[in-house]
Amino acid sequence: MRREIAAAVTAIFLLLPACSRKPATAKPDPTLQAYTMLRDTNDPQHPIPLDYLQAQGARVFQAECVWCHADATPAGPSNRSNVTPTPPLFSDGSTLNPLNDQFLQNMITLGGSAMGKSAMMPPWGRTLTADEIRAVIAYVRVIAQPPYQPPVRSRGEDSKR
Amino acid sequence: MAASEQMGKVTRRLRLVFTVSSVLFVGVLAVSPVKDSLREWRRFKKDYLRYAETQPDTKRLLADVQPGVDQIWIPDMNVVDRCTTCHQGITQASLRVASVPQPFRAHPLIPHSPVNWGCSVCHSGQGAATEVSEAHETTLAWEEPILPNRYLQAACGTCHRGALPETPDLNRGRELLDRLNCGGCHQQQGIEIPAMRGPDLTNIGSKVIRPWIYKWLNEPLTVTDADGNVKVDGYQSRGEPRMPKFRLTGDEIGALSAFLSTLRSRPVSPHKFDPQVVATLQKRPDLEQAAETRFREMFCTTCHSLSVTRGGETQLIGGNIGPELTKVGSKVDPDWLVAWLRDPQAYLAHASMPRYGWSDQDLYLVSHYVTSTLTDADLLADVPKLGEPRPDEVQHGRQLFTEKGCVGCHVIQGINPAKDFGPDLSALGSKSVLQLDFGGSKIPRNLIAYIRTKISDPVSVNTAARMPQYSLAPQDLVAVTTALLSMKGTPSSPGLEKLVVPAPHPEFHPAGEFGELFQRFQCAQCHRFNGYGATLAPDLSFEGSRAQRAWMVQFLKNPQTLRTILTFRMPQFNMTDREANVLADYVSLVLQSPSVNVQRAGENRFTPAQAAMGKELYEVKYQCQSCHTIGSTGGYVGPSLSNIGNWMTVGWIEQWLLDPQSLMPGAIEPRRSFTDEEVQALTAYLVTLRQIPGNKAVGGGDK
Repeated sequence: MRREIAAAVTAIFLLLPACSRKPATAKPDPTLQAYTMLRDTNDPQHPIPLDYLQAQGARVFQAECVWCHADATPAGPSNRSNVTPTPPLFSDGSTLNPLNDQFLQNMITLGGSAMGKSAMMPPWGRTLTADEIRAVIAYVRVIAQPPYQPPVRSRGEDSKR
Repeated sequence: MAASEQMGKVTRRLRLVFTVSSVLFVGVLAVSPVKDSLREWRRFKKDYLRYAETQPDTKRLLADVQPGVDQIWIPDMNVVDRCTTCHQGITQASLRVASVPQPFRAHPLIPHSPVNWGCSVCHSGQGAATEVSEAHETTLAWEEPILPNRYLQAACGTCHRGALPETPDLNRGRELLDRLNCGGCHQQQGIEIPAMRGPDLTNIGSKVIRPWIYKWLNEPLTVTDADGNVKVDGYQSRGEPRMPKFRLTGDEIGALSAFLSTLRSRPVSPHKFDPQVVATLQKRPDLEQAAETRFREMFCTTCHSLSVTRGGETQLIGGNIGPELTKVGSKVDPDWLVAWLRDPQAYLAHASMPRYGWSDQDLYLVSHYVTSTLTDADLLADVPKLGEPRPDEVQHGRQLFTEKGCVGCHVIQGINPAKDFGPDLSALGSKSVLQLDFGGSKIPRNLIAYIRTKISDPVSVNTAARMPQYSLAPQDLVAVTTALLSMKGTPSSPGLEKLVVPAPHPEFHPAGEFGELFQRFQCAQCHRFNGYGATLAPDLSFEGSRAQRAWMVQFLKNPQTLRTILTFRMPQFNMTDREANVLADYVSLVLQSPSVNVQRAGENRFTPAQAAMGKELYEVKYQCQSCHTIGSTGGYVGPSLSNIGNWMTVGWIEQWLLDPQSLMPGAIEPRRSFTDEEVQALTAYLVTLRQIPGNKAVGGGDK
């Protein structure tokens, strides 16, 4: 009698692990998580990991923005010194971090004169899609120095809006 | 009585056994539902509900959630993907930020919607699995692991055989596979095999001497600075040279150099310079200076690079279409050099160097500069004494030439390339781990590690590897691996086969006299014509709509840089009037854009008031000077407009102002919302900007 009960209990215990086996989730390698790596020209040993959106932003930046918003361009010298007032560098976090995404989106889409800034910043709304402009902003945020801290998105904040 | 007592005992005992086994049976039956209720994905579903509660848009996030397993089923493509069971937020726009925890984060906005395409088509892994480990990793039952994000672009390349703007690493990898001539030994998918990989060596003995060949095989290109530090290592893949490091012994290099130096089937017949020209030039005290000036004026550095030391920094400056020339004077035979400059295609049928219209004076000056200044007396100092090639060395060299795979890239008449010299790579990306031979290496057992190691250290996988040694930069190694992973052979389902987007094969082979000049000046080495050609210089597909014919003739005869910012310039071809006119005729008649209205030519219809308004718009309202230069002020991004009135057609200017990308896809200038009146005014102003040849800007550029 006792033996049977013992056998039954053992059997149940033996079956239990099958139900509650926690999967061993291996920690993913961070260098394999990025969609691509941006070669930092100042620090080639430490490329910046970019996700898909940021990578598209980097491409648009290299095609359209680099000429006036960087000190070196694919063609060599930069046009930055020819533009007044001098446009901010794209990585200039102290200037760009305080500006929210919506402001930057409008600035790029509508151009400087529509936003009360220099007319030398042309509007890109008919050349780039809204998503491409969003990508450029995502790229600006990832290369910002000092680093950009995104605003926290929470329920309470939303109800205030 | 005893019997009935006995019976009662048995019954009680039986009843007990029965009870226990029933409880046990119920317990066993319960295992399955209990196990099911504890499934991993249920936990993720519950977590998602809890997560959605914390979000401002809970209602939208929970609208499509249903209790069971979710599945994307696309029979045509063999897709049964249950990934969205756990990856619940995949299509929720508000969850498309990095701060959202996985597995709930939305998919980035890519050109394909995951709902219509499934997940495993791109990400690999096991779509039908419902356990985290089984879906993502290789297990006993499931073979295919998920493709790490870093190599994900390989998935795009499986269908898209041409370059996509969204996939920088894949494009770079394909470019490297092409440029490093991997196709010389390996079959690949979607990599074009060019007419010429390495130079044809049939006549190499007439160009260089044996010690130089020895040096080249030993170290193809090494540039050092004044302190002897290596600045350019020929084995790095900076694009030049493409010759990889073959693990050759000194004897093997000696044999190969002996064999190659005997290849002289067509001796060079020296060019006979006009003795009067030579005598006059040799008498000039400033001969060296004049030679250097002429070399610079030809803009050889648009295609060739030179090692330059500026401010203590030694680096290569110039283009990489042709070879580096810093020490070429110590490399080539002087007679060969002159013959080559006069007619490169006579030596190499597929040479990309143009045939210039040399005068004897220019040819003498430039070849003098190369053979007297671009030299290094110590270039061959470290080469051992080789002497005359012995027959046994030549024989051995000839054998090595085939054995080592040289013949994959270099043509020598009479030696045929071995078929399938290296393994076929055209379906490498679909290989399973069981099909790979890891040899004795200790690398992780997966396809990515295998490909990476085969490229970076082939001998560690196979001690007898014939594969040469490449030392790719880390990012380039990822790029090449990505490109190789994208080669999956024939698509696995008819649905996928239909999706293949072949690479475009633009061709532009004009006939007639223009076609001859087009070949002779190798226009497509720098310019692009309807998608055919290179992108170093402006796209000329619509040049006939853009430039005025008279301007074209003048420019072809004396090319000047139109963009202040450019370092690469059009070489001086020394064209005759007739040649320039033939080119201009063809371009202005044939290379036309359908969106430019040629009928609207004639600047006479503009009034001075319009031009004045245009000037105001240019300088104040739109501030075009931020990117364009007029006279000496303005920006570097666009071309200088100082002479646009003599240069561009009215129809082109109007259309450009309306929509630049309609004329040049990818043009930097953004499309604006100018009114018709503004377009007319700006055009009226721009056509007044003219330069009298040899003079400063006149007309509107009076600042």
